[in-house]
Amino acid sequence: MQGKYKLLMVSALSMSCLMSGAVNAAGKSDKSLAIPGWQVAVPDGRDTPTIDPMILYSSGGVDGKMAIIGIPSFKTYRHIDCGVDTHEISFGGSNKGNKNGTPDGKYVYLNDKGANTVCEFDLQTGYLARVIALPFPFGVHHIAMSTDGKSLFGTGEYSGKMLKLDIKSGKTEVIDWGPAPSAPDYLDATRNGKYVFAGNYYHSTVGVFTTSPFKMIKEIPVGKNPHGTDVNPESTLVAVSDKLSATMTIIDVDKLAVKKVIPTCAGPLHSVMDVYNKDGGSYRAGIDSPDGLTSKYLYESCFVADANVKVSYAKLEVVDEIPTHYRTGHISISPDNSYVMSLNKFSTGLFSPTGIVFPVNFEMWDAREKSPTYGKTLRIMPVDGEPHNAKGLMAYLIKDWTKGQAEQGGLITGRTDLLDPQHRALSRRYFIPKENTPPGVKTVDGVKEVHMKAFSYGYIPRQVRVNKGDKVRLFGTNIDKAAGITKNPDVTMGLTIYGPYGQRSNMDLPRGVTTVHEFTADIAGEYEIFCTHFCGPLHLEMRAAFFVDDPKKGPSNLAVGDYAEAQQLPGLLEEGQLTVAERVKGL
Amino acid sequence: MKNAKLKIGLIAMTSLGLMLGGASAFAAGEKRCTAGGQKVECPTITEAEAEAASAAFLKEGHDMEEGKGGSTYGIAPFDYLTGVGKRGSEAAKGAKAGTYKTDSGYGSKSKGSLKTELWDRVKNPTAGAGVYDQWTNNWSPKFGTTLVAGADANQGKTYYYSYCIACHGWLMHGDGPSASELNPRPRTLTRGNYMQKKTNLELFTVIKGGGEAVSLSSSMPSWGNLLQDQDIWNIVAFIRAMQDVAPPKSVTEYLNPKSTFKPIKGDVDALNASKSADFKEIQELIESDMAGRAPGSDLTGGGFVEGGNRATATAVKLKVAK
Repeated sequence: MQGKYKLLMVSALSMSCLMSGAVNAAGKSDKSLAIPGWQVAVPDGRDTPTIDPMILYSSGGVDGKMAIIGIPSFKTYRHIDCGVDTHEISFGGSNKGNKNGTPDGKYVYLNDKGANTVCEFDLQTGYLARVIALPFPFGVHHIAMSTDGKSLFGTGEYSGKMLKLDIKSGKTEVIDWGPAPSAPDYLDATRNGKYVFAGNYYHSTVGVFTTSPFKMIKEIPVGKNPHGTDVNPESTLVAVSDKLSATMTIIDVDKLAVKKVIPTCAGPLHSVMDVYNKDGGSYRAGIDSPDGLTSKYLYESCFVADANVKVSYAKLEVVDEIPTHYRTGHISISPDNSYVMSLNKFSTGLFSPTGIVFPVNFEMWDAREKSPTYGKTLRIMPVDGEPHNAKGLMAYLIKDWTKGQAEQGGLITGRTDLLDPQHRALSRRYFIPKENTPPGVKTVDGVKEVHMKAFSYGYIPRQVRVNKGDKVRLFGTNIDKAAGITKNPDVTMGLTIYGPYGQRSNMDLPRGVTTVHEFTADIAGEYEIFCTHFCGPLHLEMRAAFFVDDPKKGPSNLAVGDYAEAQQLPGLLEEGQLTVAERVKGL
Repeated sequence: MKNAKLKIGLIAMTSLGLMLGGASAFAAGEKRCTAGGQKVECPTITEAEAEAASAAFLKEGHDMEEGKGGSTYGIAPFDYLTGVGKRGSEAAKGAKAGTYKTDSGYGSKSKGSLKTELWDRVKNPTAGAGVYDQWTNNWSPKFGTTLVAGADANQGKTYYYSYCIACHGWLMHGDGPSASELNPRPRTLTRGNYMQKKTNLELFTVIKGGGEAVSLSSSMPSWGNLLQDQDIWNIVAFIRAMQDVAPPKSVTEYLNPKSTFKPIKGDVDALNASKSADFKEIQELIESDMAGRAPGSDLTGGGFVEGGNRATATAVKLKVAK
């Protein structure tokens, strides 16, 4: 018992070191920061501190929220609402550093794939500050922060386009990357502000874009269906996860050519890397200079192999393999390089059931090579939603506003409206026993009944056409037994029509029931249908299209539709609260 | 290395065996099938067999969670998170190497070598572009020739295993895990006396445009927005390479399928499709119904972008089998 108190003391000490480090030790590495001692001594969870040195911001995916989680306690602090189906977290500040970037502690951005928007959260108030509506048709998959912190780059998976978003004004610059009906998907920007790299699973290439002027300059062929494209802190290499080739393609940024192809693991999806400051210590945003940062290891998630692999940047080969539980999709690293968080998409058999949709989980394993628990799982927690990505920052970047500091000035300088994502309503939803009507559209009592089947990996039918003004009764049935080429009997599918039909259609499709959503198709256009539950390695490729035809305008397509209307989200109160980006001409 | 490959094949075979009802799986005929308005023999598996195949697939998933047996991909059995450690590491050579025992059967030395298939493979990578196809080549047939000019069955195979197996099954016998949910059942793609009556053009059309594009089942979705035309041709070549291939009795037989396919006179293939008026017409028809095809879109004709080991029809080096 006494031993434990001692450990707590040590832990408290190292915490205070952290705090003082934040204030005083500019430029010097702080060893206590890298290895909180308590974790090594009693890895049983009972000595978990309540004050975490690091915080993880997690994109909740299908629950439309951002979760705030402590590292290493792995306890969820709170959730903040954003919209329909959130994907990528990106801290304001700069993209320098590793995948966590250089957060300035002001804002964090989260893109909503379902609503085609970007949510801006104020890190200091902990509230949603703005919703930035993106142009239609676009279909944002992921976003990446620019080096100067002024822009976000985005991939338009449902239009084959890329965008550069001016954060302040909400204005967008959209460019074409054709021909591609389904991609680009994941992207990253170099830390020197020069290029953006984006994967394209239809082409099996990585596109290279200059940031200024924003244009495509090259397409580099890689393995099959690439996904993660992740730039190292030195901006010299890009690691591409070739999902269906079980390899990692390393691209040389100077030559814009493939440097090496490394066999890594079955179903590689994403990579993160550690980051060190000039002195070789862990990089601390806000304390260390963000220039001259380096990286030693890259960690890649392997969905099919149920593992994370560790790749040495020096050798450019796999040096370790860590089992995960199960089906790692995204992957995250703590800002101090100590822990790798494996964002697992299946928890088969791990937790108590809470209903027909099983929770997915975050698994934290020890990445400190000298630790006695190196490579082992330290924490595993069920999480709600279907988290897409999570990024961490040092907790010292968020000030303690609880003791009256806010009224002394600094937190709020003017009217700050509280936003609720109101664009998420307008449908009636219910479950019925699993029905086996053949797939397709039929009219029943004046209602267009759309029967959709979801399987690994696709929807039947692939194209659905209704008329503007139609009452739509959308039936979604999961006909999957166990997720195709992976074998998880607890597979849940999702079905969302992006854009104005985002939340109206945001379906959970667990096995054994049919989900029904009823809504009116009141905005014409071509809107892609996608899967919102990570069901398998080709989950991203699960696609269909929802055409709402306006009889006055003829069949809808990417050029014909009420796209200006689609961009007007209900809930807009005042200018400045919700920015609607002007639709770019020529789309 | 050859041994290791066979072993992996064998494990794959064992799991495949579970899903198949043996040769009897193809006994039942069905009246639903027509081709060009004519009723044709349409052999598919029976209801019971599809259910059995699905159940076997599901059981495999359950067994994996409980730590009974491994899986096709070297997935570790459930370990309740205790003692979870490395399965192979450079940093931990010698006595301390590996704290975790796998009974997946993989590993270059012997069972329980503490190494996974992955670990063996990443240490002996294939050189050149071939490295991209190691994953599927480890446990599947390789083809030295092609039955469809300008198309590569080896490339088609990799997409088949990703996109098609859920319904059509690992050995193309229409018995994938989702097959039991579909009515009509997915086609048995190896059935020569049916498939021989189908032209390459029809196969291309049904893959790109879906079942309704050839007036067949609406359960076959269109794949033209995920696969480029050349990928679809490669899949057609793989289907042709597997015609009349029965459930294998040995690993050697599994890895060396013998197709009975004879090209249909006057049929299109990947090489000459661009000159065919029929092909052009059908392309326009399919694409008019697909997403992302706004007027003026440069997506017409499927496009071609180099990537994912994809080669143009003229660059496919495989000779046409005589």
